[in-house]
Amino acid sequence: MTAIVTEGLSKTYKSLGKAPVHSLSDLNLTVEENEVFGFLGRNGAGKTTTIKLLTGLIHPTAGRAALFGTDIITPDARRMVGYMPEQPYFYEYLTPRETIEFYARLRGLTAEEREREWEQISALLDLRDIANRRIRGFSKGMRQRVGFAVALVGDPPLLILDEPMSGLDPLGRRMIRELILQMRDRGKTIFFSSHVLSDVEEICARVGILVSGKLAACDRISALVGDVAKSVEICARGLDSAFIANLGGQVISHEERKEGGHRLVVQDTEAANQLVVEINRAGGTLLSLHPVQESLEDFFTRIQEGAQVALPEEKQPAALAAAEE
Amino acid sequence: MTRIIAVAENTFRESIRDKVLYVLLFFAAATIFGSKILGWISIGQDIKIIKDICLAAMSVFGALIAIFIGASLVYKEIDKKTLYTILAQPLHRYEFVLGKYLGLVAIIGVAIVLMTGISVGYLYFMGGAVTLVWFQAILLIFMKLALITAFAILLSALVSPIMGAIIVFCIYVTGHATEVFKDLPPQFDDTISRQVLEIFYYLIPNLNTFNLQSEAANNVPVTGAYVSFALAYGLAWTAMLLILACLAFEGRDV
Repeated sequence: MTAIVTEGLSKTYKSLGKAPVHSLSDLNLTVEENEVFGFLGRNGAGKTTTIKLLTGLIHPTAGRAALFGTDIITPDARRMVGYMPEQPYFYEYLTPRETIEFYARLRGLTAEEREREWEQISALLDLRDIANRRIRGFSKGMRQRVGFAVALVGDPPLLILDEPMSGLDPLGRRMIRELILQMRDRGKTIFFSSHVLSDVEEICARVGILVSGKLAACDRISALVGDVAKSVEICARGLDSAFIANLGGQVISHEERKEGGHRLVVQDTEAANQLVVEINRAGGTLLSLHPVQESLEDFFTRIQEGAQVALPEEKQPAALAAAEE
Repeated sequence: MTRIIAVAENTFRESIRDKVLYVLLFFAAATIFGSKILGWISIGQDIKIIKDICLAAMSVFGALIAIFIGASLVYKEIDKKTLYTILAQPLHRYEFVLGKYLGLVAIIGVAIVLMTGISVGYLYFMGGAVTLVWFQAILLIFMKLALITAFAILLSALVSPIMGAIIVFCIYVTGHATEVFKDLPPQFDDTISRQVLEIFYYLIPNLNTFNLQSEAANNVPVTGAYVSFALAYGLAWTAMLLILACLAFEGRDV
């Protein structure tokens, strides 16, 4: 089943005496069940706006969206979602246990279910030691744990996490990363926004990239970074300076390796083959040869600089209709 | 209903931990005990004066609790972003507004009960008698405060806490003098001023409807019919204000 479908979802903020701000324009997106989907974009690109629309915090100016086939404007859609905002804020005077109890009550859980929920969630997020301490004195990492715990209350099939790794130390980031993967293994769908591209690359199946409120790219990471021309890196030793000087425009870049030898980057595999022959002919030794693929960060930077990538064909209206059926 | 109660209980707990509440209750108790001073200077009328001041203290300090806590109740949730995770739960926005309202009304109820306890104990100690009309007066004060709280909640969903508090305070003051808008001197006849002031008369609740202070102080009985009418009037206004508050919050982006 499709977890998230958006069709022409748009949000424009209007305020008196100011020009309208188009925060999100015509977003067409599908996220399949049990998928880990990374939602990327610079600050102000519209990521949080999209998340707020999906969680019912703000209302769309145009378009529609459904979560597991239920329109986002109904409270029933939010039964499917566990949401962790960027920098989760809770009532400071409550303890983690009281906080989980409160949200479990909002989800209509019985006393018995609430007790069971606390037992499971506190064990998973290691909250028992801080169960009865007020949130007021908590560190960022501890708050993030409580935030994740709140998102898990009621065992929703979809987790929407807004910058879950923002401001965390490496251990905190690792914890969140592992939790996301653990949740995926339990069959949940995870939709999360992030600036930490290395984490996204590591845990996401697909990503969507927003540029100025518009979806500029959406596909599997391998498909996105595979679209660009690859270069080839060759490491060799035993080459004299005259050989290097004669390479001229044949190589994209050249540098001497600290551990000895040279690192040469050529345009493509054809140029690499030719260079290998020349290295052998000059009496040099080939140490390594491997293709250099574009990283998600390179792709992200390139797309921000205006290189518009064609969107894969997504049949959104049909998908939405199917989800509603 | 479970969700409304959950929000209400949480609001109650939040207010209990709010220092403003204790400061106001302290001053209310101080005023009740201080009424003896005025009793001394009004020869032979000390019990009447004490009763009068006790009820006035309940009315004024209860209103201050409603205004200061109520005017920031919803706004604070938006400002501190605690609302994000709450509204992302499967609850209707009206459930949140009603929960916040009921939580604060419960706090005011507890404050009134405390002040009533202090007043009754003090009056008993001073040798004064407490009759039915005294409790009828307190019931109507509570109704008035519930109405004022509804105003505060409505404004809390629309404007900043300071602006909200100022507006509710103005409504509280003018609400005790709405007859002035209706019973204008003859020179106002056929003027636009009369029409404008008459509109104000209908836009602002007549808070004097809930005022049985003088009857309670003088032990003048009040009919059950009047008390019922005043309660119905207060409930109608409160319901209308809460509906408006729910509608205002329903369409709001947070």
